[in-house]
Amino acid sequence: MSITVLGVNHLTAPLDVRERFWHAGHEVPAALERVLAAGAQGGVLLSTCNRTEFYLAEESGVAPEAVWSLLSERLADGRGAAEFGYVRRDRDAVRHLYRVSAGLDSMILGESQIQGQVKQAWELSRVHAGPVLHRLFQSALAVGSRVRTETAVGMGNASAPSAAVELAGKIFGDLAGREALILGAGDMAELAAACLVSEGVRVSLVANRTYERARAIAEQLGAGSRALTLDEAWEHFAAVDIVICSTAAPHAIVTWQRVAAALHARRRRPLCILDLAVPRDVEPAVGQLENVFLYDIDDLQTVAAAAAARRRTEIPRAEHIVDQEVEEFWTWYGGLAVVPVLRDFRGRLEAVRAAELERALKHLPDLTAAEREQVERLTEALLNKFLHQPTVALKTAAQDGRGYALLDALRRLFGLEAPRE
Amino acid sequence: MVLSLHLIALALYGVATALALAPFLGVGAPWRVLMLAVSAAGAALHVVGVSQLPVVGLAPSLSLLALCLVLLQLASEALLRASAVALFTAPLAAGLVGLALLLGLAPGAEVASGRGAWLLLHVALSFFGVAFLALAFIAAALYLVQFRQLKTKRFGQVFQYFPPLERLDRLNQFALVVGFPTLTLGVLLAIGYAVHFAGAVQVDKAQVVWGMFTWVVLGWAVWVRVVRHWAGRRAAFASIAGFAAVLLVYFALKLAVPGAERFL
Repeated sequence: MSITVLGVNHLTAPLDVRERFWHAGHEVPAALERVLAAGAQGGVLLSTCNRTEFYLAEESGVAPEAVWSLLSERLADGRGAAEFGYVRRDRDAVRHLYRVSAGLDSMILGESQIQGQVKQAWELSRVHAGPVLHRLFQSALAVGSRVRTETAVGMGNASAPSAAVELAGKIFGDLAGREALILGAGDMAELAAACLVSEGVRVSLVANRTYERARAIAEQLGAGSRALTLDEAWEHFAAVDIVICSTAAPHAIVTWQRVAAALHARRRRPLCILDLAVPRDVEPAVGQLENVFLYDIDDLQTVAAAAAARRRTEIPRAEHIVDQEVEEFWTWYGGLAVVPVLRDFRGRLEAVRAAELERALKHLPDLTAAEREQVERLTEALLNKFLHQPTVALKTAAQDGRGYALLDALRRLFGLEAPRE
Repeated sequence: MVLSLHLIALALYGVATALALAPFLGVGAPWRVLMLAVSAAGAALHVVGVSQLPVVGLAPSLSLLALCLVLLQLASEALLRASAVALFTAPLAAGLVGLALLLGLAPGAEVASGRGAWLLLHVALSFFGVAFLALAFIAAALYLVQFRQLKTKRFGQVFQYFPPLERLDRLNQFALVVGFPTLTLGVLLAIGYAVHFAGAVQVDKAQVVWGMFTWVVLGWAVWVRVVRHWAGRRAAFASIAGFAAVLLVYFALKLAVPGAERFL
């Protein structure tokens, strides 16, 4: 049985393709049942916005075709899914999952969200996974944790929206309970708001030129968020802690006068303004005001780039951990495969021995019971002698992680092709 | 024994200084636990060393002040994760212990039991009060540096390893609000001690002047924070100015009456 991963990710497929391959949680069981029906013994489907990957434990070699066929159907435009994808087998497949779980294969190096997604994928696929993939995913989660604990590959915030959280955090410390106002309805502002909300910030106000759009975002952000028009927003500068600006205005709408007017009522409390709009929504002079901290998209990208650079220096250490863990898994996996094959091998030779012994004894009717027993012991001793060296060699190879190739050779040489669990 | 304990504490404070400086020397941030362990080990040995010293004299006073600073550093780290405080306290403690060793440390004779406990409490509370003022100064200095980093958008090592502004502001307020009653109690004990044992103890005017001046400065710093609601940069400048004034007055008085026998 081999372990295979096949799928697409942000490096091999454009967004419109990845979007079509993405499987919602409720679609996972049906997809896996289809792949298992094609001959796989176990399967796990990992589907995120950046990757859709099928992990298979399979013997027949036909399950991958079923996966490509399933994904091609989702494209529904005549293109084949395989042209966007990749296949990794055995040790490379294990390494791939470990790197994914550790965030080494992510668009943002070291991001932690992927580990939760790997865990969720395993939980959704648990009934279809089988023992090998079960163990593989358990170990992948442990590898992800180990890499993040023992290296700094997950340190800092390496994306612009999460850098917004880092900057606000350097001003306010604990962000839980802080209040934020969103001006405008840009995608980046929504992402930054989502990051802040995950840290406990209450996005209580959403202001937009179009009131309906503001209300839609407010509803999306949950209870407690209120929609405003832009004109209503200025008075709230006196109360909130964080302002995220992302309007499509062609010129700065947050002026020095408007912010300065709100400062007296703030009683020297810091105000963090994150201007994510291009062209900028906030006059640069606003940043000169006492206790006002103004950052634009370039600043966020600088923070993110610095974190990414720090993370990149940790790649060799992280890869070293992955290598160690791959070897450990492969040793376990080789050992797992050795036991049933050795049992088959011994059983097959034992059957031959018994048959040949019976045939020989028929030609020797004058032997006493003691002599018959002596002959039987001789054949058993010979069989044990013959089996000893291959058994030791196989177990050693399994411990070294090289057992799989030897087992395959043994199966072919001795015709041990019977399907096993 | 006293010397050995102080020497080991000095070495550990030296290691703590190196660990605190590590991120700025490109070595990478030390484990927080390691930093805490080294400082705590130094403080533990230092406590034993200080307990064998006399309660008066410049060298024992410097040693006690260093110990108070390290204990406050550990408390700041544990309560507010303000690791960067060690950037000031660790070298300061090492310097003070080193100076105390140079001036000469020796086990002291025990003062008569009633007076001894009274004096010990006065000295300990007073030095903790001064150490709290120093901690307020350190938090204020860190605040101003981090404020500048955030305003000028420099996202380097200081930005990375210094605590957030509001946490430093809180540490500054905490140090002042706790430090003032501590010092007040120390001063009250001194007054009570002088009255109770009138004639038996020699009270130096310089000590009285510096003690009262420090108390007034600390009281003013608390007043502007708590009553006038100063916060942020203004409060930081107030703490720095107050601590600088206390140091200046001390050095001025010390220059007027030099000598290593007395703290003042």
